[in-house]
Amino acid sequence: MSVISSALRPPKLRSAGREAGRLALAFAGALVVFGAFVIAKGANPLTVYSDMVRSTFLNSNSIAGVLVKACPLILGALAVAVPARAGLVNVGGEGQIVIGAVAAGGVALALDTHLPGGMVILLMMLAGAAAGALWAGIAGLLRLTLRVNEAISTLLLNYVAIDILLYLIYQPWKDMHGSGQPVTRQLAVAARLPLIGGTQVHFGIFIAIAATLVIWFLMERTSWGFRLRVVGGNSEAARRAGLPVSALLLSAMLVGGALAGLGGMVHYAGAELQLRAGMTANLGYIAFLASWLARHKPIRVAVAALLLASIAVAGDSLQINSALPAATVNVLMGLVLVAVMGGWGLRKKAVVA
Amino acid sequence: MSLALDVAAGAVGGGTSILYAALGETISERAGIINLGTEGCMLVGALTGYAVAAMSGNPWIGVVAGAGAGGALAALHAMLVIERKASQLASGLVMLFLGLGITSLFGGSFVSRTIHAFTPIALPGLSRIPGLGKILFNHDPLTYLSFLAAPAIWWLLFRSRWGLLIRGAGERGEVLAAYGYSPKLIQYLAVVAGGALAGVGGAQLSTAYANSWFEGMTAGRGFIAVALVIFAGWDPLKAVAGAYLFGAALALSPALQARGYALNQFALDALPYVITILVLVFLSRKRLHAAPEGLIRTLANAPVR
Repeated sequence: MSVISSALRPPKLRSAGREAGRLALAFAGALVVFGAFVIAKGANPLTVYSDMVRSTFLNSNSIAGVLVKACPLILGALAVAVPARAGLVNVGGEGQIVIGAVAAGGVALALDTHLPGGMVILLMMLAGAAAGALWAGIAGLLRLTLRVNEAISTLLLNYVAIDILLYLIYQPWKDMHGSGQPVTRQLAVAARLPLIGGTQVHFGIFIAIAATLVIWFLMERTSWGFRLRVVGGNSEAARRAGLPVSALLLSAMLVGGALAGLGGMVHYAGAELQLRAGMTANLGYIAFLASWLARHKPIRVAVAALLLASIAVAGDSLQINSALPAATVNVLMGLVLVAVMGGWGLRKKAVVA
Repeated sequence: MSLALDVAAGAVGGGTSILYAALGETISERAGIINLGTEGCMLVGALTGYAVAAMSGNPWIGVVAGAGAGGALAALHAMLVIERKASQLASGLVMLFLGLGITSLFGGSFVSRTIHAFTPIALPGLSRIPGLGKILFNHDPLTYLSFLAAPAIWWLLFRSRWGLLIRGAGERGEVLAAYGYSPKLIQYLAVVAGGALAGVGGAQLSTAYANSWFEGMTAGRGFIAVALVIFAGWDPLKAVAGAYLFGAALALSPALQARGYALNQFALDALPYVITILVLVFLSRKRLHAAPEGLIRTLANAPVR
């Protein structure tokens, strides 16, 4: 399917320009509608927008904030993109990120004062990826053996993962020397992901970029990626051609889960430094939308994740400067996506069927 | 009162919001369109219902407004999916985001407001039946209404001309078109009706069950409703049983705590989701055959093995 559609597509540059234009138009439309909501709340949209731009893009702290938020988002979005290429819908990024953070947190609580920092970081990465893969693997296995729809099962597993996190931070892993809040103790300094050049941007951004490039390579340049796309395009044809369809589907789900789990680890060891309720703040769902926005193409997915990360950070300025609730940004995010989906819908037809 | 009775009564009261959402989603999915935004429709229904009840002093007006809000959000989903051919699952999640954001934007001032809420009415005579009376006949009016809504929707889907059209739109839209009907229009109506019922479910939650509004109060009930529809085999009557099963799972935790059992609260909180997955595991194999054909194309887009 994607072979055909790429043959029919106009020259690359022109289509990229057209897409950028459409995106800008969709974005502008969303801003106008969002302005109406802001007026309804008695705030001046022009002030709100100028505050958002000023505090998000003209402020080095906020630019750093965007990059920090982009780390788990990029990894979480790739976690959607890989299964999607095989025709699987992974809505479980949120749970996979949570469980990855939990696994990393467990490793850290046990080892971060006993082992050298670098080794702890490596172990946390492995644990986070393994836990995420396991979490997605449950849904993958249910799909393959019992035909349980993976969109539904991954969604439900999100809530189970969050309950596991809550249980751990309220009871066994609670910081007994802290303020009594249900959080774990802070990660030892040596085991934190190193910060870059005195900013709050941490090494995780390199992990996210590297993952993007690796996934791009795997998807576009290896037979595994090609086979996944064949399975996603027409599984029956893939089966007749003798491809190991089950193994391919499961591998896509496992790789996806591992990426999201790694995203959870990066978020924990680079930004949060402790486990707390609400630490993932819908990152998994935002990541899902980033991947759909970018039609599951790895490089574009990373760019879309960066875009949504900046909207999410802009939401903080809503709260600080305009006294609107922070979750208000979900309206803006939703409107942008409505505009984009509405505008691109017809061209997307072949891809989303 | 015995624990079983307590949980059973809680199951009916707590399952009602899920039941309304599941009934709505059944109509929508029978027309071939899955709405993951049911969660968002419930949220806007819960806030709108609560806010309008607070301002008008009448919870019934609140419920009607909640239905309108849920239906409006679902209409946007329908437009994206039907007109623009957007992915049903992605568009549904966008509706969730809109619901989360809009209710957070406008909900703050209602968090501490009190309303003239629905109160449980013991049905004369019936509520005195030992056991059953307490379980079924000592509830808020919206719960009683749901007893009627489930069979009514079953009749609508399987015995009425409208139902034939809805199911036709979900199975073979082109056949409908050949007979001069507009499958698009029918799908629109079905999705909007589904969202409106989810809105009623949300309003039941805020104006009859919790008697309060707080951010994110639906806590995944909309997603559970979507899952429920699948394992109820797209049958409104079976959805009743499913909804009460979740109501029971939800009611178990407070009922045990009230009796001082030291069970793990978080394990109990995870129970509804785990049960949903387990039921899907046990029922899914045969259930998928009952799916409307249009829906199979969405749900089973991925190969099986």
